[in-house]
Amino acid sequence: MLRPLGLAFACAYAALIVWLYAAQPQNVAEMTGGLAAGVGAYRINQQAFEDGLAFFRKDQFEEARAAFARADSARRDARTQFYIAYSYYRQGWGRFYNDDELFKKGLETVDLAIALAPEGRLVVDDSNLGMKTADELRAELQRGITRDASDLNPLRLLEGRK
Amino acid sequence: MTVVREAFVLPAIFLTVVLLGGLRIAEDVRLVAPSLMALVQAMLLVGCLMRARAIAPEQLMNAGRPALENCSGLVVLLALFAACAQVFNLLTPESGLLFLLFSVFFLVQLLTTLAAVRDRVPLLQALVILLGSVFLIRFVALEALYSPEAGTLKRLLTAVMEGVTLGGLEYRAHAPATGYLAFLTLALFVVGLVLLPSGEEPRALALESGTGQPRPLAAPPRQLEEADRD
Repeated sequence: MLRPLGLAFACAYAALIVWLYAAQPQNVAEMTGGLAAGVGAYRINQQAFEDGLAFFRKDQFEEARAAFARADSARRDARTQFYIAYSYYRQGWGRFYNDDELFKKGLETVDLAIALAPEGRLVVDDSNLGMKTADELRAELQRGITRDASDLNPLRLLEGRK
Repeated sequence: MTVVREAFVLPAIFLTVVLLGGLRIAEDVRLVAPSLMALVQAMLLVGCLMRARAIAPEQLMNAGRPALENCSGLVVLLALFAACAQVFNLLTPESGLLFLLFSVFFLVQLLTTLAAVRDRVPLLQALVILLGSVFLIRFVALEALYSPEAGTLKRLLTAVMEGVTLGGLEYRAHAPATGYLAFLTLALFVVGLVLLPSGEEPRALALESGTGQPRPLAAPPRQLEEADRD
């Protein structure tokens, strides 16, 4: 009886180690959230998400990100990560130039959102957003940090924030 | 060796070493998988342990044991190998010239040990000295030298060293917690090595299941025939 139990214990422990090395959680919340997501039991804090959304719509991006981070403490929810990435885009967007640091953070976050979404497809049905898919947002952020001849096109000054 | 030690204690110790061996705490928390060089070094270390009879693999796996017991023994051997790899991963800087220097140092030491050390106790003593010395260099000397709170003189010294090596001497400092966890990991690893079934132990493990009667681990050596002697 002891040996099967020992084998089961060793296999479970080894599986946990492999998962930890693959997932690279940064804190206990991410670790427990990841494990909960693994068994389909992860839920975001809906109240904090609504707060974040309200801040986001009022262009209070720092506050929005704090609320979204509270809502999705384990960083396992694709939609919340999409909004965080979008907040980086809107905060970093400028008519004359973009904030590269914020755009890079946005790109990292939207990549995470895409990785979390089922089959990498993420569509957010929100009329407040100019870009409703993670792919559009990713391309826009990527364009924002790329330096090329089109940056000198004066017509770009007429483009608005999405 | 008791069933509890084989089925629970040794896997738990070595898997904990595997888990903690790659843990690096700085501004972020990272779990670093072992490099290919660490796997090679682990293979050499397991070879050393077997040669010095610090582990007797035939006590963990042999044709006379039932499949379940052999599986249990295999888990111990695999966990030991992974733990060895993570110990080298822990003690070796991750990149640059220091990675190369530490790796070559370990490789030469292991090859020397493989060739020269034949007994369990001297091997364990040599390992404790080797791992302890490298721990001091890595987590006391290098961490102090590259610490973000280092003084002007230390910064100047590291800048000069990096300049002389054309930037090859890069090193990423960690939080003090990494050093404490590394100490705990090495201590656990040594305890695990001491608890392994060694060639010095009586072959008490080979008891017939249920009867408690000893059974031969392998066929007795064949008597040499007269013709063979010739």
